[in-house]
Amino acid sequence: MQCPDDTSLNTPEEKTCLSSAQRRAEIRRRKLLMNSEDRMNRIVGFTKAEAENNGASRSVTAPMFHLDLDRSDSWSTYPSPRLSPFLPEAVGSSHPHSDLPERRGYPLPDTSEVLGGGVDEDVTPGVRQRPRGEAQLTADEPSRSGSPRRGLQKYLSRFDDAMKLRGQLANEKQAQDAAGSDPDELDSFRLFRLVGSVLLAVFVRVFVCKYLSIFAPFLTLELAYMGLYKYFPKVEKKMQTTVLTAALLLSGIPAEVINRSMDTYRKMGDVFADLCVYFFTFILSHEILLLVGPEETETP
Amino acid sequence: MKMATVYVWFLVLGSVVLCNLVKMLLPSISSYLSKVFQKNVEDEVEMRAVIQAMKKELSSINMMDEFARYARLERKINKMTDKLKTYVKSRTGQQTKIKWVVNIVYYILQAVLMISLIWKYYADPVTVLPSKWISPLERMVAFPSGVAGGVGITCWLVVCNKVVAIILQAVA
Repeated sequence: MQCPDDTSLNTPEEKTCLSSAQRRAEIRRRKLLMNSEDRMNRIVGFTKAEAENNGASRSVTAPMFHLDLDRSDSWSTYPSPRLSPFLPEAVGSSHPHSDLPERRGYPLPDTSEVLGGGVDEDVTPGVRQRPRGEAQLTADEPSRSGSPRRGLQKYLSRFDDAMKLRGQLANEKQAQDAAGSDPDELDSFRLFRLVGSVLLAVFVRVFVCKYLSIFAPFLTLELAYMGLYKYFPKVEKKMQTTVLTAALLLSGIPAEVINRSMDTYRKMGDVFADLCVYFFTFILSHEILLLVGPEETETP
Repeated sequence: MKMATVYVWFLVLGSVVLCNLVKMLLPSISSYLSKVFQKNVEDEVEMRAVIQAMKKELSSINMMDEFARYARLERKINKMTDKLKTYVKSRTGQQTKIKWVVNIVYYILQAVLMISLIWKYYADPVTVLPSKWISPLERMVAFPSGVAGGVGITCWLVVCNKVVAIILQAVA
């Protein structure tokens, strides 16, 4: 039903016709706003569950390795140009403006105005055709789920990661060569730990070692450090992209697992360093006491 | 002999400190040796000066008016630059070789020193403590001496290496 222009509106029927068209445009606009990501995933060929899982894993890994950020951003906001050819075949809308939101997957701000002010006949077929297109897409999904597309996408994403890692490695190596700085710098907490270990070793040698094992106070100290850690300013340690982490990442191990493992390894290294300092100080103080002790007894 | 046995811990500590200090000085040693073995350093300086002078002359020549002279001079500059590049490349290669040799010699000497210390004192602990002080790790600490309550040379080497590395890192 063709609605007249706004300027010629006089009769209530004409006004009702316009408002219904506006209403339909508003409904369509809301529908476009909602579920735009689901529609994009369906167009691309991912099922809902896969999209949610991918979204969750991407959101976790994004802060640590900014390699995935571009990929997650690209999936959420920009559609892949490789996959858009499927959409016109499925939807087949005649209206050029109505094609845009369908293709892009996210609504344009003036979509409702365009569709509302346009011809009603053109709008309605677009509404009717959409479910058919989506039905065709959903019908094609099972066949596409095991398709080589996913393998190709996976390969391409891995290739992108490899290129980014290569660039990152090269940049980090240059930066390290230029700066000449050690990544394991002595921050305040680490210094506190070492000084604490030294003091405890001397105390244990002088007062405690006769009564119990020297490792018991050390374990207590480490437990205390775990509790005190939160009171110290956290130094953000830059994640080093070494060849090992790059190889692990490319072999399919999630970045989160790698980060946690490296974090655990670093903490174990800190405990080992504390133990070495503690033991060294203990032996040194023992030898000094042995040296001083007999000399004191010798002198009258 | 007893004095030597008593101060084994100090000997091992001193060796570790010496090795780590030499490791810190390796880049300086490499650059010094490369300067000593480098030949014809003055040629490179002279070539650079000549190229600089020719470039200055080239900038004063107008290409439109004296194209032949400009082109001849440019060819000379290019030829000299290529010769300089070859020279610099060979010098850099020589520096890298010297650096590699110095590093390899250092690591070999360090390995020999550590192995000789372990060989000499594997049966003697560097120090002896009451065994209950270091329980329950007394067997691990005493390896390979096997003396109850003793601190084995390997354990002491590892501890000294770590501590000296931390100290040098803090100082550096």
